Amino acid sequence: MITTPAPSHAAAARQWFLARADLDALIAGLRDSGRRVIGPTIREDAIVYDEIQSAADLPAGWHDEQSAGRYRLERRTDEQVFGYTVGPTSWKRFTFPPNLPIASAHRTGSFGFEQPTPDAPPVAFVGVRACEIAALEIQDRVFLGGQFTDEDFRARRASAFIVAVQCTTSSGTCFCTSMGTGPEVHGGYDILMTEIDGGFVVHAGSPEGAAIVAKLPTRRPSHAEAGAAVDRVESVRTQMGEPLPMAGIDERLKLQLDHPRWAVVADRCVECGNCTMACPTCFCTSVVEKSDMEGKRSTTDRQWDSCFDVAFAKVAGGDFRSRPRDRYRQWLTHKFSTWFDQFGSSGCVGCGRCITWCPVAIDVREELGVIAPPIAPVIRPVAVEPVAASPGSYSIARVAAVRPETEDTSTLTLTDVDPAFLAGRPGQFVMIALPAFPAVPISISRFRANGIDLTIRAVGPTSTALTNLHPGAKVGLRGPLGTFWPVEEAYGRHAVVVAGGVGLSPLHGLVDALVANHDRFESVSLFYGSRTPEDQLFRDDLDTWSASKAIDVAITVDRAGPEWKGRVGVVTGLFDMISWDCTKVTAFVVGPERMMQASVQGLISKGVPADRICVSMERHMECGIGLCGHCQMAGRFVCKDGPVFRLNELGDLFNREGI
Amino acid sequence: MDDHATVISMLNHTWFGSDLAPETQERLAKLGVIQDFEADEVILHEGDEANEMGILISGQLALRTLVPERGPVTILSVEPGDIFGWSAVLSATQVQSTVVATEKSKALVIEGTKLRAALKEDHALAASLYPRVLIAVARRLRATRLQLLDLFAR
Repeated sequence: MITTPAPSHAAAARQWFLARADLDALIAGLRDSGRRVIGPTIREDAIVYDEIQSAADLPAGWHDEQSAGRYRLERRTDEQVFGYTVGPTSWKRFTFPPNLPIASAHRTGSFGFEQPTPDAPPVAFVGVRACEIAALEIQDRVFLGGQFTDEDFRARRASAFIVAVQCTTSSGTCFCTSMGTGPEVHGGYDILMTEIDGGFVVHAGSPEGAAIVAKLPTRRPSHAEAGAAVDRVESVRTQMGEPLPMAGIDERLKLQLDHPRWAVVADRCVECGNCTMACPTCFCTSVVEKSDMEGKRSTTDRQWDSCFDVAFAKVAGGDFRSRPRDRYRQWLTHKFSTWFDQFGSSGCVGCGRCITWCPVAIDVREELGVIAPPIAPVIRPVAVEPVAASPGSYSIARVAAVRPETEDTSTLTLTDVDPAFLAGRPGQFVMIALPAFPAVPISISRFRANGIDLTIRAVGPTSTALTNLHPGAKVGLRGPLGTFWPVEEAYGRHAVVVAGGVGLSPLHGLVDALVANHDRFESVSLFYGSRTPEDQLFRDDLDTWSASKAIDVAITVDRAGPEWKGRVGVVTGLFDMISWDCTKVTAFVVGPERMMQASVQGLISKGVPADRICVSMERHMECGIGLCGHCQMAGRFVCKDGPVFRLNELGDLFNREGI
Repeated sequence: MDDHATVISMLNHTWFGSDLAPETQERLAKLGVIQDFEADEVILHEGDEANEMGILISGQLALRTLVPERGPVTILSVEPGDIFGWSAVLSATQVQSTVVATEKSKALVIEGTKLRAALKEDHALAASLYPRVLIAVARRLRATRLQLLDLFAR
């Protein structure tokens, strides 16, 4: 690739200055070389590409004023020849004609099909912009980059001599800087011209280009002229302002196939297909058969078609894209998303034609912003270094509050904790100890500004002693330990939290994080099952979450008396409420292993991918740092390799008896 | 008499009724009647003759069984789309649990004798309805198994 001309000594040495008054020498030179010259010229109040005979045919002194659904020619205050941007035609009209005979057939005496030999006499394109070179290169990949090629296109491209022109102005619909295609020309030309006061700074990009330039009445540009050429292009970049946030647009769009905006924009769209006709990269066609009256001779013409045409996806049994919203979605997602899968780049070059020439002023920039808004960069957190990271070593914390949750479960709020605990992540745990009691692993159920919550069920000596503590008591802590919930990996997806019984404890911090960032997810849901209503943890929080629009909460209990007005049944029964595309679900599941197994089966049967289901495993842990060997699960230490695992990491270890 | 089109539209919003053939939906709409229930209203009594099957359109119901010395225990709640009183498809049996509306609810209710007669005479209806009833019963059986495991027990 040829790099951008810069006013370096080396670059300046390859540059020439051509006076505007001598521009006709270029056109004449191209014509004298046997080329038909196609360039910008004014037809019916627009600058279009058509054959030109001399420089007099070029739109000197004209400028195009463009915005969504609007195009007007206006006089410039100077005589710049290329002081406009792009018009309704694009170069594909000449490399990929709107109508092309591709075959003929006969059955007069003999029977046969004939394919015409590509006919591509030499041609010169004058005034090709950076975005248009990018468009030609996209069509190169479409027509020549795969197993099957379009030989007519190949011949036309090979015969085309490109005189590129740097943009020195932009219109209101230009967004090449967002698509990375301009405003600077970066190669793909035979001659490159940048218009400045009085003429052009000219650069040859090929031997053929150099041969033409050599015959022009040029001189070396002054240092000021070379600098002015660079400044003019740079000023266009400034005019266009901040580029649109296009990073990841392909994946962003794939997550939004069900966005309600498709229907809204389709209500405006009149399906005229202007956007696809004006687009310099759209390549869809249909064939039209023309036959004589007897059906003995026929010709097949290939004609541009549009995915907006109601019959475009029609088959004998029906129409695959019967609704306007389907057709609009097909076009936009193809341009900005699935084109990447097919051809390795976006199908859009940011020329803005589809915006200008849309009769109802639909602006793809606006639609992309609504349908697939940028997702803030994901900063994947790393686990904080734990404190007191050896058995027997503890950091001292103080009990600030003790809150009973159920008959046997309480939440301790600890303060005066080492800052490392505040930097822990939902899903991690601590080893907590009291003098004369062995340490036990407890999940951090909440992160507060100046402390953490541990929700503890009294099932043994240590946990019973802990739940009997009073405010002011001191405890020993080690941690935070273990892996954590991969919250960021669920951005843009349906986040589903499935909790059973005290399993809500290691999920509480996760729910807090999901609720706080709910606009980053397609939806956030909590399915919580417990044995009885009395066994529910965090009832105040459940009420708060239930009242919040940030999360949908569904609660069920296994058994209840008549006073309970809520759902009764197992937590997996709540999955019947899921109406989303489950391939877009990321699930976080904690509960007794049998309950997790039933939940996982239910989620997988609905289509949730195994690598998108995270579980938190429980095992006997004594040290919490992988040294004591108690928590081994096959080749893993649950304390340090877990407790949070993706289901596919566990494979058939999950819920296998005796592991 | 309910407008059949309205009933069919309601059926189409339930898993039980949405995939039924139009003629089967029409038949069910003719057989049944849409009924509204207030919160706490008892719809079926445990032990009574099973003579009504319902498809819950909206609201929520509780299936309760009386346990001596414990009083009524809720076994399961019924969500929109699910059925209640399925025993009515069998002849000469009793309602298995008391059905109570836990909130304002609406259901398509079909009289048992009419339903059984229709199932006997209309094989297409029977072929559509029995598998769905079986699915509903199987779901409950699976849920009951998990409940029996008492997963959250201490």
